[in-house]
Amino acid sequence: MEAACLFVADFPVAIARRDKPSLKGRPVIIGGSPEEHAQVTACSAEAAAAGVTVGTTLRRALALCPGAVFLPLQESAIAAESERLTGLLELYSPIIEVIAPGHMHFDVHGLARMTGMNDWPYLRDLQAAAAAASGLTVQLAAAETVFAAHAAAVTIFDPPHEANQPRPRAKLPAENPVLVSPGQTRAFLSELPVEVLPVSPLLHVRLRLFGLERLGQVADLPFSAIQAQFGREGARAWELANGKDDAVITARRDELRINEELELPAPTALSEPLLVGTRMLLQRALSRPAIRGQVLRRLDWRLGLENGEQITRRAVFREPTSDPARMLIVLTGKIERLQLPSPAIALGITLSGLCSEYGHQSNLWPTGPRRQRELLDAIAQLNAREGTPQVYRIVEVQPWSRIPERQLALVAFDG
Amino acid sequence: MVPDPRTPAGAGRFRRLNEPRPAAVEATPRGAPKAVLWRGTYQHVAAIHDTWRIDDEWWRDEIARRYFVIELDSGRHVTLYHDLVNDAWYAQEYANPKESAQKKRA
Repeated sequence: MEAACLFVADFPVAIARRDKPSLKGRPVIIGGSPEEHAQVTACSAEAAAAGVTVGTTLRRALALCPGAVFLPLQESAIAAESERLTGLLELYSPIIEVIAPGHMHFDVHGLARMTGMNDWPYLRDLQAAAAAASGLTVQLAAAETVFAAHAAAVTIFDPPHEANQPRPRAKLPAENPVLVSPGQTRAFLSELPVEVLPVSPLLHVRLRLFGLERLGQVADLPFSAIQAQFGREGARAWELANGKDDAVITARRDELRINEELELPAPTALSEPLLVGTRMLLQRALSRPAIRGQVLRRLDWRLGLENGEQITRRAVFREPTSDPARMLIVLTGKIERLQLPSPAIALGITLSGLCSEYGHQSNLWPTGPRRQRELLDAIAQLNAREGTPQVYRIVEVQPWSRIPERQLALVAFDG
Repeated sequence: MVPDPRTPAGAGRFRRLNEPRPAAVEATPRGAPKAVLWRGTYQHVAAIHDTWRIDDEWWRDEIARRYFVIELDSGRHVTLYHDLVNDAWYAQEYANPKESAQKKRA
């Protein structure tokens, strides 16, 4: 096995159901309350069966599925959960690509052998670890190619359905991982529906209109016929259906983060000591060799309170900077506006979003009406010095003419 | 009454654009360009990419031109026309009025 795919179906819904078990079995729609002018971000299989899809307006979703539970989208919780899953996988594989929250591809070449295990027990242990750590139902599959592993993870437990019915989104929870044996990729893929292909939804529809419902049907057709009918996307679909996939897993780059913490000498609720402490932390963080010569986009500021609470503020700079004074200016307003329920005892900052420094090109003239006036003055001065118009504008004279020299002319620029 | 715009008047305030420039062209017996004097040296015409003819205003100063979009040996693309009334050659950029109007709309 070369590549593996870890997939949690309807990730935001799965998190909501884990945190609130009473939601199990009920239609759940994530995106906000129905009166909001927003769209569905995720929905459970029960809601999908009622016709709700991602992108449907919440009002329409309510009309389609009146019994649904509407929940707000908790992006930070979803990102944190996805990060936790990725962190777990990092213990197993050095190359992980996060496709979406709750959906990762990772390299498993030779890893089972390194641990002295066979492929399948290795995958089973990994799946059990991921499920135990996250409390979610995790689907895991491994194969010779990335596409085969992905297809296996997202569809393998999909029950067979009638050919003339729309494809159900519901997937049964995977109890065991799936291992597609080497040399069996094409045979394994042949039974999967065409919707698993990473092509446009329009091509999915077109394939079905041609009666091509399974990957095996696509794979059996001549390559030239598929390419002639469906173009480049069709050619890609044919290659994938035949188990030919040259996709590689691109490892994510670890972002450099600089953390600094400070215990305040005495509990305080005043802003001045907090500003002094923040300035000290910034100077300490920015003197680190790791970020010398680089500028930053993001600053996370944390304040630990005596009652155990933590207050966080995030500053994102319009222009990346490494100047502690500029960073402090942005933070000052946020710190001064704080209403602390309890005295602060600890301060912390995290600098992230590192990038290279770049120069700034100022405008030749200041923008706005002043620029126009200066431009006109400069032209008038030029004309006065030479005695004849020196700056012209191009105007259309006879744009319809077939004679080129009659279409356009130059007219002296008067402003 | 039209107010005085207080701007100087005169011929210098208006100039024609894209005037044809006389060109020294060696032509084949069938009237197609074979070589063009370009910046002091004759360059062979490597290819003729397009050709068209304009006949207009026959009721006053007749215009009859045969345009050629050619490629010189150096790879440069040049638009030439043969003035069929005066039997002279000129170089001139050409923008199809319909195409340029469509581009502007897009």
